[in-house]
Amino acid sequence: MASNSTLVRGGAMPAVAAPAYSTRLPALFNSGLYQSTLGALVSNKTTRMVLLAAVPIVWIVMMHIGPIYQMLKISLLSNYPIQHGRAPTVTFANYAIFFSEPLYFMPLIRSFVYATSATAVTLLVVYPVAYYVAKIVQPDRRSKALLLLLVPFWAGELIRTFSIIMLLANRGALNVFLRDVGMIDRPIPLLYTPFSLGFGLVYLISLYMLLPLYSAIDKIPKHLLDAAADLGAGPFTRFRRIVLPLSRDGIVSGCSLVFLTSIGVFATPMLLGGPTTVLFPETISGFFHGASDKWPVGAAFAMIMLVSALTTAAIFMRIVGGKSTRLM
Amino acid sequence: MRTMLADAPRTALTMAYWGFVLYLFLPLTLMMAMSFKNAAFIAFPIGDWTFDWYLKVMQDKPFLEACVYSVLVAGLTTLAATVIGVWIAMLIATTEGRWGAVLFALACLPAVVPGMISAISLRIFISTIDMPTGTAAIVLGHTVHAVPFVVVMALTRLRSMPANLVDAARDLGADSVVAFFRVTLPYLGPAIGGGMIFCILLSIDDFVRTFFLGGYRPTLPMLIFAKVQGGMSPEINAMATLVLLVTGAVGLYAEYYTRRSRSR
Repeated sequence: MASNSTLVRGGAMPAVAAPAYSTRLPALFNSGLYQSTLGALVSNKTTRMVLLAAVPIVWIVMMHIGPIYQMLKISLLSNYPIQHGRAPTVTFANYAIFFSEPLYFMPLIRSFVYATSATAVTLLVVYPVAYYVAKIVQPDRRSKALLLLLVPFWAGELIRTFSIIMLLANRGALNVFLRDVGMIDRPIPLLYTPFSLGFGLVYLISLYMLLPLYSAIDKIPKHLLDAAADLGAGPFTRFRRIVLPLSRDGIVSGCSLVFLTSIGVFATPMLLGGPTTVLFPETISGFFHGASDKWPVGAAFAMIMLVSALTTAAIFMRIVGGKSTRLM
Repeated sequence: MRTMLADAPRTALTMAYWGFVLYLFLPLTLMMAMSFKNAAFIAFPIGDWTFDWYLKVMQDKPFLEACVYSVLVAGLTTLAATVIGVWIAMLIATTEGRWGAVLFALACLPAVVPGMISAISLRIFISTIDMPTGTAAIVLGHTVHAVPFVVVMALTRLRSMPANLVDAARDLGADSVVAFFRVTLPYLGPAIGGGMIFCILLSIDDFVRTFFLGGYRPTLPMLIFAKVQGGMSPEINAMATLVLLVTGAVGLYAEYYTRRSRSR
């Protein structure tokens, strides 16, 4: 250390600024190899910026934009895989197939109905819970109250969906309970119905509603509510005039996140839905089983789903407004 | 009477909260309870209780292989997503104005695009670059999904970092790489730790991307999905319970970790 501290900056600048601060990573950064390669590169502002930007830009272009672009390209091909000597022609025929059959467009409509209703139900169910945690629970107990709501979500999509079966099956907990208290004689078919699918969707997505709502309500200053109460506003007026408008950003991002998630849910309808509740992801997935010559149609369907889902979310944000249009 | 009326909203909200907690925990608790049922079919009431399903699962070779495989995939995903995510966050943090916002929006795109769409577009993409389905493809898919979460966590921490820390390091003669490794990276530590645990959870849960990008080796969700479709048995509940306990422990540790590092 003593030898290092004698090297003071200034005067004749040493070509290699000996780092007096380095105690843990010195060998590598002091080595001639480093100084002549990476060290030399980052000493120049332009090459430093290129190094900083290269990996992120290549990654985003390759992995975020590339696949969507590739999907769009394939959805416009008349034949795939591309054969030698036969130029593929650009066509909208794959998109036209979607409108030709109720078998194809009904699942998309169904997906929208389920996603929209699940979003609405989730908002109504989760809002009071988020409000309770953000405003009623004592601050020192708040993180514990929130943690209790987060724990079940670590189970993941598949296990959470599967656990719903234990509740709703013909000999599941709910039917057995209702039978034992004498309300029913024979089990009500709950599983593999629109009800079980909706129930499962809400169960799956409520966290994505909880977190944005919680952080929005948490930001509302408590003294605004106290002042309103002093001026004689009842609970309902306080909610309508203060809490609701000030939590609008949370509602927008929560609803958008939940809607976009439930539109793309794949395993849940397959495990909890019946033959009448085939949703669009399952329809799309059918084109990707087996030979790849059906991929253009599947890609076209996926583009239809992506564009319609993002457009709906964007329209919703525009209507409800709010300054923040960020989804995360 | 009057106080009762004034307390009514508070009581209703308290009940809403506990009702919601019950709603969240009930199915998972039922699933765990069913794994102890001493019969080969799923039906309530449970009647006789047994540990046999766990003994059976512990000797189930495909299950153990799927566990190892899932951990391998999660480890590789976490490694890749952390490096790329922090790199992107560094770029966004140093880019000002409109371009920073554009970069942020593009970086977060995979978190917004429905999982199904992302899985299919990646499936098409890897076939156009002649990459086979299998481990590398799954890791790529999971990484694409995990990166936005790392970016958001790292960026939040970077935005709270005093700018003069790096200035001081530069004044003392550190070049930008040294300053990054000696100042910025240690400061990012808690965010990176939290992000890594998040990546593990995301990767272990991911079903849809694995479904489209995977080869013949199943990950845990793939295995459980195949079992559920093949017929119900408390054995699946035992498997799911074990997975749930492990992911729950990882999540709880993450919570403990972030809270400890926040208070430091």
